Amino acid sequence: MDRRDFLKKSGAALAGASGALSLPVISSCTAETASADSVLEGKRWGMVIDLTRCREGCTACMDACREANNVAFHDDPRWDVHWIRRATIKPKDESYGLEEKSVLLMCNHCDNPPCAQVCPVQATYKREDGIVVVDHHRCIGCRYCMIACPYNARFFNFKHNPDWPNKQYPQRSHGVVESCNFCAHLLDLGRRPACVEACEGVGAGALIFGNLNDRTTEVSQLVTGGFVKRIREDWGTKPKVYYIGL
Amino acid sequence: MKRSTVLTEKNRIKWATVFSFLIILPVALSVAGFAFSRGQEVEVFLEATDPRWESCYRDTEYMRYHHMDLLRDIREDVVRYGIRGGITLAGCGDCHTNRDQFCDRCHEAGSVRLDCFGCHYYPERASERELAKASLAVQALQDGR
Repeated sequence: MDRRDFLKKSGAALAGASGALSLPVISSCTAETASADSVLEGKRWGMVIDLTRCREGCTACMDACREANNVAFHDDPRWDVHWIRRATIKPKDESYGLEEKSVLLMCNHCDNPPCAQVCPVQATYKREDGIVVVDHHRCIGCRYCMIACPYNARFFNFKHNPDWPNKQYPQRSHGVVESCNFCAHLLDLGRRPACVEACEGVGAGALIFGNLNDRTTEVSQLVTGGFVKRIREDWGTKPKVYYIGL
Repeated sequence: MKRSTVLTEKNRIKWATVFSFLIILPVALSVAGFAFSRGQEVEVFLEATDPRWESCYRDTEYMRYHHMDLLRDIREDVVRYGIRGGITLAGCGDCHTNRDQFCDRCHEAGSVRLDCFGCHYYPERASERELAKASLAVQALQDGR
């Protein structure tokens, strides 16, 4: 959008909003972010993780992610990088009848991402289709985002990664922060994330992925149907990774 | 008592010598080096033309002086706006298959540090590939016997 278009649109938005006396400032801001010729427009990617279908001890999605995205594994918890990982959640108080659960954790791709808010160089940002990505060219490795992220989804590259299984996709160099990006490079070409394909490959189908803006997709039907929970919704981060059976 | 660090009539020649060594000499050398290097145009390394590319993205003159701008623009499109499927850094390697000859030669001469290949893959150097081919051939011969 050029300057002329922006002025036109924001002027129209201001005029409309001032007539209705409702938040003219916010309307003018939304006019600024709308872009006409974008391949990302109209999409809002989201994932539902069905823990009732997820198999305990299965590592298909994690292995596929490591393979496809060259995620570093040094076999040392200090330096390992995880884009998707499994954690065991224990209840604080067992008197409520809660059980231990094995949960897949990943970047939640918040609609209100704390990591993007604190990034001093705007290397972390939310794309127009809602994916929170890191521009590794810009990242200076300050690790503010790792502190800001309430889900501990971000990892720092303390070391160079010697493995490079997928040459089609770049590595991350030493000194940048990384996290899951919903395989944005595959989505842009019309494919689906590696973990989702792997999960269907083993026949579990626990990861359901799709466009939340499209009412016909399974994801949006599950989400609007109210079968889902998100992790710590009270924080107001509005994650786009939903859980069934959490 | 006069201090020797002050420019006077007597020590004028001494200061002229110091000045010429400190300032004129480096400047003159760099100017001469620049003038000398202007005449030399390095030929672009092109090992093989990949059938997937009909021609280079732009003409040689443009690529020689503006490839960094081009790469930066493409990066912006891909990373920020998700416009993929066009020219890529790996795509350059389809034809210009030797990083040593294609990138590093000029970048080393101009002492411009390249930061691309810490993350991005560029096809292996031609010499390495020849070695790999040779070792494969030897292996095949040994297996045959």
